[in-house]
Amino acid sequence: MRLKTSDSLIGVAFITPAATLFLLLVAYPLFQSILISFSAINTMTLKGHYVGLANYLDILQDQEFWRTLVNTLIWTAGSLVLQVLLGVGFALLLHRAFPGRALARSLVLFPYLLSTAVAVLVWRWLFNDLYGILNYGLVHIGLIERPIAWLSRMPEAMISVILVGAWKFFPFVVIALLARLQTIPLQLYEAARIDGASAVARFWDITLPQLSGVLAVVVLLRSIWDFKEFDLVYLMTGGGPGIGTQTLPILVYREAFPQLHLGKGAAIAVVMLLVMLVFMLLYLRQSARGDER
Amino acid sequence: MSGRRALRLRRRLLRVAADLTTWALVLAVAFPLFWMLGTSLKPSAETFALPPTLIPAHVTFEHFRTLLFETPFPTYFLNSVIVATGTTLLVIVVSLLGAYSVVRFRYRGRRLAAQMVLFTYLLPAVVLLLPLYLILASLGLVNSLLGLILAYTTFAMPFSLWLLRSFILAMPIDLEEAAMVDGASRVEAFLDVVVPQALPGIISAALFSFILSWNEYLYALVFNRQDHTKTLPPGVITMLQQNTNTEWSLLMAASVMMAVPVIVAFVFLQRHLTSGFGAGAVKG
Repeated sequence: MRLKTSDSLIGVAFITPAATLFLLLVAYPLFQSILISFSAINTMTLKGHYVGLANYLDILQDQEFWRTLVNTLIWTAGSLVLQVLLGVGFALLLHRAFPGRALARSLVLFPYLLSTAVAVLVWRWLFNDLYGILNYGLVHIGLIERPIAWLSRMPEAMISVILVGAWKFFPFVVIALLARLQTIPLQLYEAARIDGASAVARFWDITLPQLSGVLAVVVLLRSIWDFKEFDLVYLMTGGGPGIGTQTLPILVYREAFPQLHLGKGAAIAVVMLLVMLVFMLLYLRQSARGDER
Repeated sequence: MSGRRALRLRRRLLRVAADLTTWALVLAVAFPLFWMLGTSLKPSAETFALPPTLIPAHVTFEHFRTLLFETPFPTYFLNSVIVATGTTLLVIVVSLLGAYSVVRFRYRGRRLAAQMVLFTYLLPAVVLLLPLYLILASLGLVNSLLGLILAYTTFAMPFSLWLLRSFILAMPIDLEEAAMVDGASRVEAFLDVVVPQALPGIISAALFSFILSWNEYLYALVFNRQDHTKTLPPGVITMLQQNTNTEWSLLMAASVMMAVPVIVAFVFLQRHLTSGFGAGAVKG
Protein backbone atom coordinates (compact mmCIF):
# COMPACT_ATOMS: atom_id res chain seq x y z
CA MET A 1 0.00 0.00 0.00
CA ARG A 2 1.30 3.44 -0.87
CA LEU A 3 -1.05 5.90 0.81
CA LYS A 4 1.70 8.08 2.16
CA THR A 5 5.38 7.34 2.10
CA SER A 6 5.82 9.14 5.44
CA ASP A 7 3.82 6.55 7.28
CA SER A 8 6.46 3.91 6.69
CA LEU A 9 7.67 5.22 10.06
CA ILE A 10 4.49 3.82 11.60
CA GLY A 11 5.22 0.56 9.83
CA VAL A 12 8.63 0.41 11.46
CA ALA A 13 7.11 1.33 14.82
CA PHE A 14 4.59 -1.51 14.49
CA ILE A 15 7.25 -4.14 13.80
CA THR A 16 9.58 -2.91 16.54
CA PRO A 17 8.13 -4.88 19.51
CA ALA A 18 8.18 -8.14 17.55
CA ALA A 19 11.65 -7.42 16.18
CA THR A 20 12.98 -6.58 19.65
CA LEU A 21 11.66 -9.82 21.15
CA PHE A 22 13.10 -11.71 18.16
CA LEU A 23 16.55 -10.16 18.53
CA LEU A 24 16.58 -10.64 22.30
CA LEU A 25 15.08 -14.11 22.58
CA VAL A 26 15.98 -15.81 19.28
CA ALA A 27 18.81 -14.14 17.33
CA TYR A 28 21.04 -13.33 20.30
CA PRO A 29 20.54 -16.75 21.98
CA LEU A 30 21.25 -18.49 18.68
CA PHE A 31 24.49 -16.54 18.33
CA GLN A 32 25.33 -17.22 21.95
CA SER A 33 24.77 -20.94 21.65
CA ILE A 34 27.45 -21.04 18.95
CA LEU A 35 29.80 -19.20 21.32
CA ILE A 36 28.98 -21.59 24.16
CA SER A 37 29.70 -24.56 21.90
CA PHE A 38 33.34 -23.38 21.66
CA SER A 39 33.76 -23.32 25.43
CA ALA A 40 33.84 -25.66 28.40
CA ILE A 41 31.24 -24.25 30.80
CA ASN A 42 29.82 -25.70 33.98
CA THR A 43 26.04 -25.38 33.96
CA MET A 44 25.80 -24.69 37.70
CA THR A 45 28.59 -22.18 38.24
CA LEU A 46 28.45 -20.82 34.66
CA LYS A 47 32.24 -20.55 34.78
CA GLY A 48 34.31 -21.74 31.87
CA HIS A 49 36.84 -20.98 29.18
CA TYR A 50 37.33 -21.07 25.43
CA VAL A 51 38.30 -24.50 24.08
CA GLY A 52 38.01 -24.01 20.34
CA LEU A 53 36.75 -27.01 18.44
CA ALA A 54 37.32 -29.45 21.32
CA ASN A 55 33.62 -30.05 21.99
CA TYR A 56 32.97 -30.83 18.33
CA LEU A 57 35.93 -33.20 18.03
CA ASP A 58 34.78 -34.83 21.25
CA ILE A 59 31.30 -35.42 19.83
CA LEU A 60 32.52 -36.84 16.54
CA GLN A 61 34.64 -39.42 18.36
CA ASP A 62 31.88 -40.27 20.80
CA GLN A 63 30.18 -43.62 20.17
CA GLU A 64 27.17 -42.45 22.17
CA PHE A 65 26.62 -39.51 19.82
CA TRP A 66 26.52 -41.73 16.72
CA ARG A 67 24.29 -44.27 18.37
CA THR A 68 21.96 -41.43 19.41
CA LEU A 69 21.94 -40.04 15.88
CA VAL A 70 20.97 -43.46 14.53
CA ASN A 71 18.22 -43.74 17.17
CA THR A 72 16.91 -40.33 16.15
CA LEU A 73 16.76 -41.40 12.51
CA ILE A 74 14.99 -44.68 13.38
CA TRP A 75 12.44 -42.85 15.53
CA THR A 76 11.87 -40.14 12.93
CA ALA A 77 11.53 -42.50 9.97
CA GLY A 78 9.44 -45.10 11.81
CA SER A 79 7.02 -42.66 13.28
CA LEU A 80 6.81 -40.59 10.10
CA VAL A 81 5.94 -43.57 7.90
CA LEU A 82 3.16 -44.64 10.27
CA GLN A 83 1.87 -41.08 10.54
CA VAL A 84 1.59 -40.79 6.78
CA LEU A 85 -0.08 -44.19 6.35
CA LEU A 86 -2.57 -43.59 9.18
CA GLY A 87 -3.02 -40.00 8.05
CA VAL A 88 -3.89 -40.87 4.46
CA GLY A 89 -6.16 -43.74 5.56
CA PHE A 90 -8.11 -41.73 8.10
CA ALA A 91 -8.33 -38.68 5.86
CA LEU A 92 -10.00 -40.82 3.18
CA LEU A 93 -12.33 -42.44 5.72
CA LEU A 94 -13.30 -39.14 7.34
CA HIS A 95 -13.77 -37.41 4.00
CA ARG A 96 -16.72 -39.70 3.14
CA ALA A 97 -20.17 -38.68 4.38
CA PHE A 98 -21.34 -40.95 7.23
CA PRO A 99 -23.47 -40.59 10.37
CA GLY A 100 -21.67 -38.71 13.16
CA ARG A 101 -18.81 -37.56 10.96
CA ALA A 102 -18.20 -34.30 12.87
CA LEU A 103 -17.82 -36.16 16.16
CA ALA A 104 -15.61 -38.81 14.57
CA ARG A 105 -13.33 -36.11 13.17
CA SER A 106 -13.07 -34.43 16.57
CA LEU A 107 -12.17 -37.70 18.26
CA VAL A 108 -9.43 -38.41 15.74
CA LEU A 109 -7.98 -34.89 15.75
CA PHE A 110 -8.03 -34.39 19.50
CA PRO A 111 -4.86 -36.31 20.44
CA TYR A 112 -2.89 -33.80 18.40
CA LEU A 113 -3.92 -30.91 20.64
CA LEU A 114 -3.49 -32.86 23.84
CA SER A 115 -0.42 -32.16 25.94
CA THR A 116 2.30 -34.69 25.21
CA ALA A 117 2.67 -35.16 28.97
CA VAL A 118 -0.97 -36.27 29.16
CA ALA A 119 -0.69 -38.52 26.11
CA VAL A 120 2.36 -40.20 27.61
CA LEU A 121 0.72 -40.69 31.01
CA VAL A 122 -2.26 -42.38 29.39
CA TRP A 123 -0.07 -44.60 27.24
CA ARG A 124 2.23 -45.56 30.09
CA TRP A 125 -0.87 -46.66 31.94
CA LEU A 126 -2.01 -48.66 28.90
CA PHE A 127 1.48 -50.17 28.55
CA ASN A 128 1.78 -50.91 32.29
CA ASP A 129 3.37 -54.36 32.70
CA LEU A 130 1.23 -55.51 35.64
CA TYR A 131 -2.16 -53.89 35.24
CA GLY A 132 -2.03 -52.40 31.74
CA ILE A 133 -5.00 -53.24 29.57
CA LEU A 134 -2.75 -53.77 26.56
CA ASN A 135 -0.87 -56.68 28.12
CA TYR A 136 -4.13 -58.06 29.50
CA GLY A 137 -5.77 -57.95 26.09
CA LEU A 138 -2.79 -59.50 24.28
CA VAL A 139 -2.51 -62.32 26.81
CA HIS A 140 -6.25 -62.83 26.71
CA ILE A 141 -6.39 -63.32 22.97
CA GLY A 142 -3.29 -65.48 23.14
CA LEU A 143 -0.86 -63.31 21.16
CA ILE A 144 1.64 -63.31 24.02
CA GLU A 145 2.06 -65.77 26.86
CA ARG A 146 2.86 -63.44 29.71
CA PRO A 147 2.85 -59.64 30.15
CA ILE A 148 5.66 -57.76 28.43
CA ALA A 149 7.60 -54.91 30.05
CA TRP A 150 7.10 -52.75 26.98
CA LEU A 151 9.20 -49.77 27.99
CA SER A 152 12.21 -51.42 29.57
CA ARG A 153 13.28 -53.83 26.82
CA MET A 154 14.68 -53.41 23.34
CA PRO A 155 13.35 -53.34 20.70
CA GLU A 156 9.94 -53.13 22.44
CA ALA A 157 10.76 -49.72 23.91
CA MET A 158 11.60 -48.19 20.51
CA ILE A 159 8.53 -49.79 18.94
CA SER A 160 6.31 -48.43 21.72
CA VAL A 161 7.71 -44.92 21.37
CA ILE A 162 7.21 -45.02 17.59
CA LEU A 163 3.62 -46.24 17.99
CA VAL A 164 2.71 -43.57 20.51
CA GLY A 165 4.39 -40.94 18.32
CA ALA A 166 2.32 -42.11 15.37
CA TRP A 167 -0.88 -41.93 17.45
CA LYS A 168 -0.09 -38.46 18.78
CA PHE A 169 0.98 -36.84 15.52
CA PHE A 170 -0.88 -38.50 12.64
CA PRO A 171 -3.91 -36.19 13.09
CA PHE A 172 -1.77 -33.39 11.68
CA VAL A 173 -1.57 -35.31 8.41
CA VAL A 174 -5.35 -35.85 8.55
CA ILE A 175 -6.09 -32.12 9.05
CA ALA A 176 -3.88 -31.15 6.14
CA LEU A 177 -5.22 -33.82 3.78
CA LEU A 178 -8.89 -33.25 4.64
CA ALA A 179 -8.53 -29.61 3.67
CA ARG A 180 -6.96 -30.60 0.35
CA LEU A 181 -9.45 -33.41 -0.40
CA GLN A 182 -12.29 -30.90 -0.31
CA THR A 183 -10.77 -28.99 -3.21
CA ILE A 184 -10.38 -31.90 -5.65
CA PRO A 185 -12.91 -31.29 -8.44
CA LEU A 186 -15.64 -33.94 -8.39
CA GLN A 187 -15.77 -33.98 -12.19
CA LEU A 188 -12.47 -35.82 -12.19
CA TYR A 189 -14.08 -38.72 -10.34
CA GLU A 190 -17.23 -38.70 -12.46
CA ALA A 191 -15.21 -38.84 -15.65
CA ALA A 192 -13.16 -41.72 -14.29
CA ARG A 193 -16.30 -43.59 -13.22
CA ILE A 194 -17.79 -43.22 -16.67
CA ASP A 195 -14.56 -44.62 -18.04
CA GLY A 196 -15.10 -47.60 -15.76
CA ALA A 197 -12.17 -46.97 -13.39
CA SER A 198 -12.39 -48.98 -10.15
CA ALA A 199 -12.25 -47.32 -6.73
CA VAL A 200 -8.64 -48.42 -6.34
CA ALA A 201 -7.73 -47.05 -9.75
CA ARG A 202 -9.47 -43.76 -8.96
CA PHE A 203 -7.39 -43.48 -5.76
CA TRP A 204 -4.07 -44.08 -7.55
CA ASP A 205 -4.85 -42.01 -10.65
CA ILE A 206 -6.75 -39.06 -9.18
CA THR A 207 -6.64 -38.76 -5.40
CA LEU A 208 -2.99 -39.54 -4.78
CA PRO A 209 -1.55 -37.24 -7.50
CA GLN A 210 -3.83 -34.44 -6.26
CA LEU A 211 -2.62 -34.96 -2.70
CA SER A 212 1.07 -35.24 -3.56
CA GLY A 213 1.82 -31.51 -3.15
CA VAL A 214 0.35 -31.26 0.36
CA LEU A 215 1.84 -34.60 1.26
CA ALA A 216 5.31 -33.35 0.37
CA VAL A 217 4.91 -30.32 2.63
CA VAL A 218 3.47 -32.42 5.44
CA VAL A 219 6.32 -34.95 5.24
CA LEU A 220 8.86 -32.12 5.33
CA LEU A 221 7.26 -30.45 8.35
CA ARG A 222 6.69 -33.66 10.25
CA SER A 223 10.24 -34.88 9.67
CA ILE A 224 11.54 -31.58 11.08
CA TRP A 225 9.27 -31.84 14.10
CA ASP A 226 9.82 -35.55 14.76
CA PHE A 227 13.57 -35.12 14.49
CA LYS A 228 13.56 -32.49 17.24
CA GLU A 229 10.90 -34.14 19.41
CA PHE A 230 11.95 -34.20 23.06
CA ASP A 231 8.83 -34.50 25.21
CA LEU A 232 7.33 -37.69 23.85
CA VAL A 233 10.46 -39.82 23.77
CA TYR A 234 11.89 -38.48 27.01
CA LEU A 235 8.65 -38.94 28.94
CA MET A 236 7.95 -42.41 27.54
CA THR A 237 11.34 -44.00 28.28
CA GLY A 238 13.74 -41.32 29.49
CA GLY A 239 15.90 -42.46 26.57
CA GLY A 240 16.21 -45.97 27.99
CA PRO A 241 16.67 -48.83 28.41
CA GLY A 242 20.32 -47.73 28.58
CA ILE A 243 20.51 -45.34 25.66
CA GLY A 244 18.28 -47.55 23.50
CA THR A 245 15.73 -44.84 22.71
CA GLN A 246 17.90 -41.80 23.41
CA THR A 247 17.47 -39.20 20.67
CA LEU A 248 19.56 -36.07 20.02
CA PRO A 249 17.38 -33.59 21.96
CA ILE A 250 17.58 -35.89 24.99
CA LEU A 251 21.37 -36.07 24.64
CA VAL A 252 21.55 -32.25 24.56
CA TYR A 253 19.45 -32.05 27.72
CA ARG A 254 21.47 -34.73 29.50
CA GLU A 255 24.86 -33.24 28.68
CA ALA A 256 23.82 -29.75 29.71
CA PHE A 257 21.75 -30.38 32.81
CA PRO A 258 22.30 -33.60 34.69
CA GLN A 259 25.96 -33.73 33.55
CA LEU A 260 26.59 -29.97 33.66
CA HIS A 261 28.55 -29.86 30.36
CA LEU A 262 26.89 -26.78 28.93
CA GLY A 263 29.44 -26.36 26.15
CA LYS A 264 29.21 -29.92 24.87
CA GLY A 265 25.41 -29.78 25.06
CA ALA A 266 25.45 -26.62 22.95
CA ALA A 267 27.78 -28.23 20.43
CA ILE A 268 25.40 -31.19 20.01
CA ALA A 269 22.51 -28.76 19.59
CA VAL A 270 24.44 -26.89 16.89
CA VAL A 271 25.23 -30.13 15.04
CA MET A 272 21.55 -31.06 15.30
CA LEU A 273 20.56 -27.70 13.86
CA LEU A 274 22.99 -28.15 10.96
CA VAL A 275 21.40 -31.50 10.08
CA MET A 276 17.92 -29.96 10.27
CA LEU A 277 18.91 -26.89 8.29
CA VAL A 278 18.70 -28.89 5.06
CA PHE A 279 15.04 -29.69 5.72
CA MET A 280 14.29 -26.22 7.03
CA LEU A 281 15.71 -24.57 3.91
CA LEU A 282 13.72 -26.95 1.70
CA TYR A 283 10.56 -25.95 3.54
CA LEU A 284 11.38 -22.23 3.37
CA ARG A 285 11.93 -22.50 -0.38
CA GLN A 286 8.69 -24.42 -0.82
CA SER A 287 6.69 -21.85 1.12
CA ALA A 288 8.33 -18.92 -0.67
CA ARG A 289 7.24 -20.52 -3.93
CA GLY A 290 3.70 -20.83 -2.54
CA ASP A 291 3.80 -17.14 -1.63
CA GLU A 292 4.56 -16.01 -5.14
CA ARG A 293 1.68 -17.98 -6.60
CA MET B 1 -36.17 -55.30 -12.09
CA SER B 2 -35.35 -57.47 -9.07
CA GLY B 3 -31.74 -57.52 -10.26
CA ARG B 4 -31.60 -53.76 -9.91
CA ARG B 5 -33.14 -53.95 -6.45
CA ALA B 6 -30.60 -56.54 -5.39
CA LEU B 7 -27.84 -54.28 -6.65
CA ARG B 8 -29.23 -51.37 -4.66
CA LEU B 9 -29.45 -53.51 -1.55
CA ARG B 10 -25.89 -54.65 -2.04
CA ARG B 11 -24.73 -51.03 -2.37
CA ARG B 12 -26.55 -50.11 0.79
CA LEU B 13 -25.09 -52.99 2.76
CA LEU B 14 -21.63 -52.06 1.55
CA ARG B 15 -22.20 -48.51 2.67
CA VAL B 16 -23.35 -49.58 6.14
CA ALA B 17 -20.35 -51.89 6.41
CA ALA B 18 -18.02 -49.03 5.46
CA ASP B 19 -19.67 -46.72 8.02
CA LEU B 20 -19.33 -49.31 10.76
CA THR B 21 -15.69 -49.98 9.88
CA THR B 22 -14.96 -46.26 9.98
CA TRP B 23 -16.51 -45.90 13.42
CA ALA B 24 -14.72 -48.99 14.73
CA LEU B 25 -11.38 -47.52 13.63
CA VAL B 26 -12.22 -44.09 15.04
CA LEU B 27 -13.13 -45.63 18.40
CA ALA B 28 -9.92 -47.66 18.37
CA VAL B 29 -7.90 -44.49 17.88
CA ALA B 30 -9.88 -42.68 20.58
CA PHE B 31 -9.72 -45.60 23.01
CA PRO B 32 -6.85 -44.18 25.12
CA LEU B 33 -8.95 -41.06 25.73
CA PHE B 34 -11.92 -43.10 26.98
CA TRP B 35 -9.61 -45.27 29.04
CA MET B 36 -8.15 -42.15 30.68
CA LEU B 37 -11.61 -40.87 31.58
CA GLY B 38 -12.79 -44.31 32.77
CA THR B 39 -9.77 -44.85 35.01
CA SER B 40 -10.15 -41.40 36.58
CA LEU B 41 -13.70 -42.28 37.67
CA LYS B 42 -12.98 -45.76 39.09
CA PRO B 43 -12.41 -46.52 42.77
CA SER B 44 -8.72 -47.42 43.33
CA ALA B 45 -9.51 -51.10 43.91
CA GLU B 46 -11.29 -51.33 40.57
CA THR B 47 -8.36 -49.71 38.77
CA PHE B 48 -6.23 -52.77 39.38
CA ALA B 49 -9.00 -55.31 38.94
CA LEU B 50 -8.40 -58.17 36.51
CA PRO B 51 -10.14 -58.53 34.16
CA PRO B 52 -10.29 -54.74 33.74
CA THR B 53 -13.74 -53.17 33.59
CA LEU B 54 -14.22 -51.19 30.41
CA ILE B 55 -16.92 -48.99 31.93
CA PRO B 56 -16.52 -48.16 35.65
CA ALA B 57 -18.78 -50.38 37.77
CA HIS B 58 -18.79 -47.68 40.44
CA VAL B 59 -18.32 -44.04 39.54
CA THR B 60 -16.41 -41.96 42.04
CA PHE B 61 -15.02 -38.44 42.11
CA GLU B 62 -12.68 -39.16 45.02
CA HIS B 63 -9.56 -38.82 42.85
CA PHE B 64 -10.55 -35.37 41.69
CA ARG B 65 -11.16 -34.42 45.32
CA THR B 66 -7.75 -35.78 46.38
CA LEU B 67 -6.12 -33.96 43.48
CA LEU B 68 -7.64 -30.61 44.41
CA PHE B 69 -7.19 -30.77 48.18
CA GLU B 70 -4.24 -33.02 48.93
CA THR B 71 -1.69 -32.42 46.16
CA PRO B 72 0.11 -29.36 44.74
CA PHE B 73 -1.98 -29.79 41.57
CA PRO B 74 -3.99 -26.53 42.09
CA THR B 75 -0.72 -24.55 42.27
CA TYR B 76 0.51 -26.11 39.03
CA PHE B 77 -2.85 -25.43 37.42
CA LEU B 78 -2.85 -21.77 38.44
CA ASN B 79 0.75 -21.36 37.23
CA SER B 80 -0.18 -22.88 33.88
CA VAL B 81 -3.17 -20.56 33.55
CA ILE B 82 -0.99 -17.52 34.29
CA VAL B 83 1.80 -18.53 31.92
CA ALA B 84 -0.50 -19.55 29.06
CA THR B 85 -2.68 -16.44 29.40
CA GLY B 86 0.31 -14.12 29.78
CA THR B 87 2.05 -15.61 26.74
CA THR B 88 -1.12 -15.37 24.67
CA LEU B 89 -1.79 -11.71 25.53
CA LEU B 90 1.80 -10.63 24.91
CA VAL B 91 2.11 -12.59 21.71
CA ILE B 92 -1.20 -11.48 20.20
CA VAL B 93 -0.54 -7.76 20.68
CA VAL B 94 3.01 -7.97 19.36
CA SER B 95 2.14 -10.27 16.44
CA LEU B 96 -0.89 -8.32 15.32
CA LEU B 97 1.16 -5.12 15.08
CA GLY B 98 4.01 -6.99 13.41
CA ALA B 99 1.82 -8.85 10.92
CA TYR B 100 0.03 -5.65 9.93
CA SER B 101 3.34 -3.92 9.44
CA VAL B 102 4.80 -6.70 7.32
CA VAL B 103 1.74 -6.89 5.06
CA ARG B 104 0.78 -3.22 4.61
CA PHE B 105 4.02 -1.27 4.68
CA ARG B 106 7.01 -1.18 2.42
CA TYR B 107 10.43 -0.90 3.98
CA ARG B 108 13.78 -2.60 3.64
CA GLY B 109 14.05 -6.02 5.28
CA ARG B 110 10.34 -6.73 5.05
CA ARG B 111 10.84 -9.94 3.09
CA LEU B 112 13.67 -10.99 5.35
CA ALA B 113 11.38 -10.46 8.35
CA ALA B 114 8.80 -12.83 6.89
CA GLN B 115 11.48 -15.47 6.23
CA MET B 116 12.89 -15.08 9.73
CA VAL B 117 9.43 -15.67 11.18
CA LEU B 118 9.14 -19.00 9.41
CA PHE B 119 12.71 -19.97 10.26
CA THR B 120 12.12 -19.26 13.95
CA TYR B 121 8.95 -21.28 13.82
CA LEU B 122 10.89 -24.35 12.70
CA LEU B 123 13.75 -23.79 15.13
CA PRO B 124 14.00 -26.63 17.69
CA ALA B 125 13.39 -25.57 21.27
CA VAL B 126 16.39 -27.58 22.39
CA VAL B 127 18.73 -25.29 20.40
CA LEU B 128 17.45 -22.21 22.24
CA LEU B 129 17.20 -24.03 25.57
CA LEU B 130 20.77 -23.53 26.77
CA PRO B 131 21.30 -19.86 25.81
CA LEU B 132 17.80 -18.96 27.05
CA TYR B 133 18.69 -20.58 30.35
CA LEU B 134 21.81 -18.37 30.55
CA ILE B 135 19.83 -15.24 29.69
CA LEU B 136 17.06 -15.96 32.18
CA ALA B 137 19.65 -16.82 34.84
CA SER B 138 21.45 -13.52 34.29
CA LEU B 139 18.14 -11.63 34.50
CA GLY B 140 17.16 -13.51 37.66
CA LEU B 141 14.15 -14.96 35.85
CA VAL B 142 14.85 -18.64 36.39
CA ASN B 143 12.07 -20.11 38.56
CA SER B 144 9.68 -17.32 37.64
CA LEU B 145 6.51 -17.32 35.61
CA LEU B 146 7.61 -14.21 33.71
CA GLY B 147 10.74 -16.02 32.56
CA LEU B 148 8.64 -18.84 31.17
CA ILE B 149 6.35 -16.38 29.38
CA LEU B 150 9.38 -14.80 27.69
CA ALA B 151 10.69 -18.24 26.69
CA TYR B 152 7.30 -19.20 25.24
CA THR B 153 7.18 -16.15 22.97
CA THR B 154 10.00 -17.82 20.99
CA PHE B 155 7.51 -20.32 19.55
CA ALA B 156 4.13 -18.65 20.08
CA MET B 157 5.15 -15.37 18.42
CA PRO B 158 6.36 -16.75 15.07
CA PHE B 159 3.32 -19.00 14.92
CA SER B 160 0.86 -16.16 15.59
CA LEU B 161 2.71 -13.79 13.29
CA TRP B 162 2.50 -16.24 10.43
CA LEU B 163 -1.17 -17.03 11.00
CA LEU B 164 -2.17 -13.36 11.33
CA ARG B 165 -0.06 -12.41 8.35
CA SER B 166 -2.01 -14.77 6.10
CA PHE B 167 -5.24 -13.38 7.56
CA ILE B 168 -4.33 -9.75 6.90
CA LEU B 169 -3.01 -10.63 3.44
CA ALA B 170 -6.50 -11.87 2.57
CA MET B 171 -8.20 -8.70 3.85
CA PRO B 172 -9.25 -6.11 1.28
CA ILE B 173 -7.46 -2.82 1.70
CA ASP B 174 -10.41 -0.64 0.58
CA LEU B 175 -12.03 -0.28 4.00
CA GLU B 176 -8.83 1.01 5.58
CA GLU B 177 -8.34 3.47 2.72
CA ALA B 178 -11.93 4.66 2.97
CA ALA B 179 -11.51 5.25 6.71
CA MET B 180 -8.36 7.25 6.08
CA VAL B 181 -9.97 9.30 3.30
CA ASP B 182 -12.66 10.11 5.88
CA GLY B 183 -9.92 11.56 8.07
CA ALA B 184 -8.97 8.67 10.30
CA SER B 185 -5.29 8.42 11.15
CA ARG B 186 -3.30 5.31 10.34
CA VAL B 187 -3.51 4.11 13.92
CA GLU B 188 -7.27 4.78 14.09
CA ALA B 189 -7.82 2.88 10.88
CA PHE B 190 -5.83 -0.01 12.34
CA LEU B 191 -7.84 -0.08 15.56
CA ASP B 192 -11.31 0.53 14.07
CA VAL B 193 -11.08 -1.33 10.78
CA VAL B 194 -8.25 -3.88 10.79
CA VAL B 195 -8.63 -5.31 14.29
CA PRO B 196 -12.38 -6.09 14.00
CA GLN B 197 -11.88 -7.65 10.58
CA ALA B 198 -8.98 -9.77 11.78
CA LEU B 199 -10.93 -11.00 14.80
CA PRO B 200 -11.40 -14.63 13.61
CA GLY B 201 -7.66 -14.79 12.97
CA ILE B 202 -6.91 -13.23 16.32
CA ILE B 203 -9.14 -15.77 18.07
CA SER B 204 -7.54 -18.78 16.43
CA ALA B 205 -4.01 -17.42 16.95
CA ALA B 206 -4.89 -16.80 20.61
CA LEU B 207 -6.34 -20.28 21.11
CA PHE B 208 -3.35 -21.96 19.44
CA SER B 209 -0.90 -19.86 21.47
CA PHE B 210 -2.76 -20.79 24.63
CA ILE B 211 -2.71 -24.51 23.81
CA LEU B 212 0.97 -24.50 22.81
CA SER B 213 1.93 -22.76 26.05
CA TRP B 214 -0.41 -24.89 28.15
CA ASN B 215 1.20 -28.07 26.81
CA GLU B 216 4.87 -27.02 26.79
CA TYR B 217 7.18 -29.30 28.76
CA LEU B 218 10.91 -28.82 28.04
CA TYR B 219 11.40 -25.14 29.00
CA ALA B 220 9.14 -25.61 32.01
CA LEU B 221 11.14 -28.65 33.10
CA VAL B 222 14.50 -26.88 32.89
CA PHE B 223 13.69 -23.31 33.97
CA ASN B 224 11.21 -23.79 36.81
CA ARG B 225 12.58 -26.36 39.20
CA GLN B 226 10.82 -25.17 42.36
CA ASP B 227 7.40 -26.47 43.25
CA HIS B 228 5.69 -23.08 43.57
CA THR B 229 6.61 -22.05 40.02
CA LYS B 230 6.04 -25.41 38.30
CA THR B 231 3.45 -25.64 35.56
CA LEU B 232 1.21 -28.63 34.90
CA PRO B 233 3.18 -30.84 32.48
CA PRO B 234 6.37 -31.14 34.57
CA GLY B 235 4.34 -30.91 37.78
CA VAL B 236 2.14 -33.88 36.97
CA ILE B 237 5.15 -35.88 35.77
CA THR B 238 6.76 -35.20 39.15
CA MET B 239 3.66 -36.70 40.74
CA LEU B 240 4.22 -39.79 38.60
CA GLN B 241 7.85 -40.14 39.66
CA GLN B 242 7.48 -39.34 43.34
CA ASN B 243 5.42 -42.30 44.46
CA THR B 244 6.72 -45.84 44.36
CA ASN B 245 3.15 -47.13 44.10
CA THR B 246 1.87 -45.20 41.13
CA GLU B 247 -1.69 -44.06 41.71
CA TRP B 248 -2.90 -44.33 38.16
CA SER B 249 -6.43 -43.21 38.88
CA LEU B 250 -5.09 -40.01 40.44
CA LEU B 251 -2.81 -39.41 37.46
CA MET B 252 -5.68 -40.05 35.04
CA ALA B 253 -7.81 -37.55 36.97
CA ALA B 254 -4.97 -35.04 36.59
CA SER B 255 -4.79 -35.82 32.87
CA VAL B 256 -8.52 -35.24 32.48
CA MET B 257 -8.24 -31.89 34.26
CA MET B 258 -5.32 -30.90 32.02
CA ALA B 259 -7.32 -31.83 28.94
CA VAL B 260 -10.41 -29.79 29.84
CA PRO B 261 -9.10 -26.35 28.79
CA VAL B 262 -7.81 -27.90 25.56
CA ILE B 263 -11.24 -29.40 24.86
CA VAL B 264 -12.88 -26.01 25.40
CA ALA B 265 -10.38 -24.35 23.06
CA PHE B 266 -10.84 -27.16 20.54
CA VAL B 267 -14.61 -26.62 20.39
CA PHE B 268 -14.07 -22.96 19.53
CA LEU B 269 -11.25 -23.75 17.14
CA GLN B 270 -12.84 -26.40 14.98
CA ARG B 271 -13.97 -24.17 12.18
CA HIS B 272 -10.62 -22.39 12.11
CA LEU B 273 -8.52 -25.52 12.33
CA THR B 274 -7.41 -25.54 8.75
CA SER B 275 -6.70 -21.80 8.66
CA GLY B 276 -3.90 -22.53 11.10
CA PHE B 277 -2.34 -24.84 8.58
CA GLY B 278 -0.58 -21.94 6.83
CA ALA B 279 1.68 -21.93 9.84
CA GLY B 280 1.54 -25.68 10.17
CA ALA B 281 -1.50 -25.89 12.47
CA VAL B 282 -0.04 -26.77 15.84
CA LYS B 283 3.61 -27.27 16.48
CA GLY B 284 4.42 -30.95 16.74
